[in-house]
Amino acid sequence: MTATKQAYDTLVHETGGWVASQLEACTRCGMCAEACHFYQATGNPEYSPVWKVELLRRAYEQRFTLVGGFKKMIGLEKEITDEDLKHWSELNYYACTVCNKCSMVCPMGIDLGSLLHGVRAGLAAAEVVPDDLMAAVNKQVEEGSPLGMTDSVWDQRLEWIADEWEEDIPRDVQGADTMVVFSSIEVMKFPTNVAAIAKILNKAGEKWTVSSKAREIVNFGFYQGDEKNTKMFLDRVLEGARDLGVKRIVVTECGHAYDALRWHGANWLPEANDFEIIHITGVLGELVGNGRIKLKPGAFDGNGTITFHDACKIQRKGGHIQEPRDILKVIAPNSFKEMTPNREEAICCGGGGGVIAIKAADPQRYAAFGLKIDQVNSVGAKTVTMTCSNCRLQFTDGVEHFKLDWKVTGLAQMVADSLVE
Amino acid sequence: MNPQAMLEFARGPFFYASLLFMIFGLAYRLFTVISLGWSKDRVPDKGSKAGGVVMSFLKGILIWPFIPWVKNTFNRNPLIYIGGGLFHLALFVVIILGTPHMLVWKSLTGLHWATLPLPIVDWMAAVGIIAMILLLINRRINPVLKLISGPAEFLSWLFVFLPMVTGYMMTHHLWLPYENLYALHMLSVDVMMIWIPLSRISHFIFYFFARAIHGAEFGKRGVAV
Repeated sequence: MTATKQAYDTLVHETGGWVASQLEACTRCGMCAEACHFYQATGNPEYSPVWKVELLRRAYEQRFTLVGGFKKMIGLEKEITDEDLKHWSELNYYACTVCNKCSMVCPMGIDLGSLLHGVRAGLAAAEVVPDDLMAAVNKQVEEGSPLGMTDSVWDQRLEWIADEWEEDIPRDVQGADTMVVFSSIEVMKFPTNVAAIAKILNKAGEKWTVSSKAREIVNFGFYQGDEKNTKMFLDRVLEGARDLGVKRIVVTECGHAYDALRWHGANWLPEANDFEIIHITGVLGELVGNGRIKLKPGAFDGNGTITFHDACKIQRKGGHIQEPRDILKVIAPNSFKEMTPNREEAICCGGGGGVIAIKAADPQRYAAFGLKIDQVNSVGAKTVTMTCSNCRLQFTDGVEHFKLDWKVTGLAQMVADSLVE
Repeated sequence: MNPQAMLEFARGPFFYASLLFMIFGLAYRLFTVISLGWSKDRVPDKGSKAGGVVMSFLKGILIWPFIPWVKNTFNRNPLIYIGGGLFHLALFVVIILGTPHMLVWKSLTGLHWATLPLPIVDWMAAVGIIAMILLLINRRINPVLKLISGPAEFLSWLFVFLPMVTGYMMTHHLWLPYENLYALHMLSVDVMMIWIPLSRISHFIFYFFARAIHGAEFGKRGVAV
């Protein structure tokens, strides 16, 4: 029962007035289910967001409310058990990407994403995080990266990328303005993206650098919901930035990492406010907007329809909604077509929140991707572009799994390919 | 107890006792939630929190009761949107814009305002009652609602439904003598007022917290709510 006790204590600890007032606002109308891609794809009512936060609600009501305490006393409401924790671990880690689409649908406006993160914190404290995800977390703790991108691997990969694409990738430059932190997904699986971002920044004449200390932006502690690990990984990035004396930190194409660093970082580590933290999508918008890079108009027209996939953590939760559109309207004015729903109402890819790292969650993940297939097919797109390499991993895998004939690419890559030389 | 005495009790001491219970109960709930404390948000904003909050309330008030079909999830469960929206609209019209209820407000607060003609209020009451019945059926059928509904949800439904249906019967002098209906209406209102702070009907208080938080969260990120 120690696991339960730890989970309970953490859930209670997570429940300040901010969380409590939202739990109290829930009318149990069930509308959030209609927003959840996992519920839509599988029809399993346990995947409704309201049910996923059930543990947090129970802990809160039993601990803090008279009615909750009374209900527990007369046996109307059960205490949280070890079995519950295992069960909710599957609901929350296999079938939730914390994409926060549910909060767009909630008539009360409850920010379900944050509550779901709170549930993860409880599950993490009870050590019921799925094995695959935990293995990745431990790898990041020990090696500095969940994908095995150790010091020497990072070194070799960047060397190779710089060589292969003939792009300068400045390393550990003291006093650079901008420190770029790539995700290991890009370095290991989408090296073209790294080369593309290097090309763009070099072209713009940006004084930038990467840091061997802050070499991984991915934050598996945030997926896990564990505060200690999340902070440790954030701190590595901030330490790298501090050592080099940079002014701003650019997060590349990783959504969860951006959410953790930009929108939560300073609440855990106040020194995060010493830096401007921005996503590469924001940088692209900025560089195109102020003319530091020029794009060939229509560079991507004529090869079939292109559509843009909104990433939950970069568009809906990150606010970089307009920049990709502005860019696509320049480089693909005739072939860019929006999916519906889009922008902040977009449907998540189904692979975020650590779901793609969990083998046992494959059925849920592929089922959720089915919604994306319908969306893309309904605009007849041949190319799907996006700003998150975790989404891109899910798309690449989904395309292979379902034998689709789409091309999956990234926005930075498209920008790099349409630069006016 | 004869109907006259019952009515006197239900609109007299019992009414005021229930009203006080509701007010103090809600105040207690509010106090316990607020006293849990709010941690300070140190993250710098990208957009405007205040702007987000305003948009959040505007959308909340306009979309659900009046134009629910603009939500892209509307088609997946139209009944819950239309039923829920119309029920709340009906409730507002009857309780605030119905003449007899306005007079109750006046006697309690001294404030008064223009009301709608009876036929309109009456029709809205019927709409509210029908919406409630549909929502109950939906709660028994929809797999998600079946999963998340316990005795408290059905009691909440019952304690809201009784005042509505007895009020409607009163207006139309249906089945029972007027005085009996009036007494039943007042009794059911009293019971409802006791139930409100004990249940999720109190969402009308916490609604303001949740929507403000939603607006602030999206506003700070520079995202349309």
